[in-house]
Amino acid sequence: MTTIATQIRTTAATGAPARLNCLLAEYENPAQLLAAAEQIRDRGYRYWDCHTPFPVHGLDRAMGIQRTLLPVMVFAAGAAGCTAGLVLQLFTNSFEFTVWAMVWVTGYPFLISGKPALSIPAFIPVIFELTVLFSALSTVGLMLLLNHLPRLHHPLLACNRFRRASDDRFFISIEARDPRFYRSKTEADLRATGAAAVEAVTEGDD
Amino acid sequence: MAHHDHHAPDLSAGNIGGGKFGALAPRLFLAGWPLFAFGCWMALRGDNIADGARAYLVAMVLALATCLGALFFVIVQHLTRAGWSVAVRRPAEAIAQNLRWIWILFLPIAWMGWTGKLVDLYPWADLGVLRSIAPAEAELVANKAGYLNQKFFFVRSAAYFAVWALLANFFWSSSVRQDRTGSPSISARCRKWSGPAMILFGLSTTFASFDWIMSLSPAWFSTMFGVYFFAVCATCGLSAVTLTCIALQRGGQLRGIVTAEHYHDLGKLLFAFGIVFWAYIAFSQFMLIWYGNLPEETAWFLPRQVGQWYWISWGLLLGHFILPFVLLISRWPKRWPSSLAVGCAWMYLFGVVDICYLVLPHIPHDLAEFTDYRAFAEKHAADGPHGPGLPFLVAGAVLLVFAGTARALRREQSLASRDPSLAESLAFENM
Repeated sequence: MTTIATQIRTTAATGAPARLNCLLAEYENPAQLLAAAEQIRDRGYRYWDCHTPFPVHGLDRAMGIQRTLLPVMVFAAGAAGCTAGLVLQLFTNSFEFTVWAMVWVTGYPFLISGKPALSIPAFIPVIFELTVLFSALSTVGLMLLLNHLPRLHHPLLACNRFRRASDDRFFISIEARDPRFYRSKTEADLRATGAAAVEAVTEGDD
Repeated sequence: MAHHDHHAPDLSAGNIGGGKFGALAPRLFLAGWPLFAFGCWMALRGDNIADGARAYLVAMVLALATCLGALFFVIVQHLTRAGWSVAVRRPAEAIAQNLRWIWILFLPIAWMGWTGKLVDLYPWADLGVLRSIAPAEAELVANKAGYLNQKFFFVRSAAYFAVWALLANFFWSSSVRQDRTGSPSISARCRKWSGPAMILFGLSTTFASFDWIMSLSPAWFSTMFGVYFFAVCATCGLSAVTLTCIALQRGGQLRGIVTAEHYHDLGKLLFAFGIVFWAYIAFSQFMLIWYGNLPEETAWFLPRQVGQWYWISWGLLLGHFILPFVLLISRWPKRWPSSLAVGCAWMYLFGVVDICYLVLPHIPHDLAEFTDYRAFAEKHAADGPHGPGLPFLVAGAVLLVFAGTARALRREQSLASRDPSLAESLAFENM
């Protein structure tokens, strides 16, 4: 078994040894990456990812990624927007209820172009817009949340080799926090997938 | 260990022909023509053909909407240089090519014009008759006589059919020629003409809907009507394209070529145009008229909210929007052909209901006598879709369109097998 080329360095400021963040394996084309991803998936790793310069079809399946729950959450958010739009207009325009919402507020039926105070057709545009607004904002917001974003820095970004992930190379990274991560074994696993190179990525030493 | 190498799909003649669906063509013709002819006879016999002519118009508009929706699909694929759709484009082209003969369905209306009966269908066709029934309406309609007169009407109608036949023939014959020559320049030529084709398509369908459907109530107008008719075309056309693909596969063709990925996208298009866009346009038209509350505009909705039409209006809201919205919004119903087929058949059925809703109700001439909605509703409680021969005409028209489609797919391939983008379409996956 070959050892990893990168030396474990110490941080200049503290003198403590740099912590291992992940092992990074490099591949030359999408086909190699897909085959490697299937092997890594079958080894049961959980905290790992693929990095490609462009979308690779079938990668989700090769990595064994479950479908996201995002659509269900967005549907719920849209339904909430729909209800909010309806209730807000019903309350402010159709009824004279007094309710406490931080302060006491009273509904105020207002005669608009001779229409009944409860005119659903007039409410539809606002209901529609609020549904779309809630759905769109929750899609973006929850997507960021589920991806642990925004994130200002990642140890991979300090790795020179990784720069080619936005150009012409394909990578798999397995994080050290993975329960199945054992440095020598994981490195062997990555080499067994036919990686062109395997490199240890540390954090705190940049 | 999983495999990810794609097996090359079977592109032999046995997998890209018409199969059992194509073989149905003669039987569909044999069933379609007598039904349609019998419906015509029921609708257009006798002296008073007012109701029958509208029933006939429903069938003609349905056949047209189906083919026009398919034509739109074909044009938009070339316009956007779409790669994914090559595997399903030929069935759409086969439906659209029916536009080459569909002018035959207009002949009974031309006959009505010839024999002076057009006024039974279009009140503007004889202002004298209209004046004797509804003088106030006649006065409004007289101002439109420069556009709404019989001679110009038939000239325009001929122009629409000419444009559609030309467009459908261009895309159909180009595509099947590519099967033989394999020339990529044919695709480039289709792309080049898809822009002008789309403009022609938009103008012709908009004005055709004004002329043939909106002018049934000549005093009424809606600038949104053309877009509404486009939504009708998209509903009927996209569901028919999907159903044809499923029928071809059930008949043993296109195995391994049309996949869940293609059905998923067809389902998305139907969901977007046939369900959501339709509801958006239908409601926008309704709300502007409801809010403005002008008698000459609201008159169009009044007869659609009394008698059986009241329930049909609610039925459209539920069956054309709310129910299919909930049932087709998820991923799996669009990817599983059986559930998608049910969804498409359902949407096609409600496309028919929608066309009945657009065409059949009259704005009654006794409208001015009522000051109260309730009294009007009581008087018209028995109103409903009473077109003589309507079921025969509708069934006949649908069978004829699918017969023409099956015949085309039996004579030519059911796959544009030498399109340069075929490989992209076969490998296509939704992200």
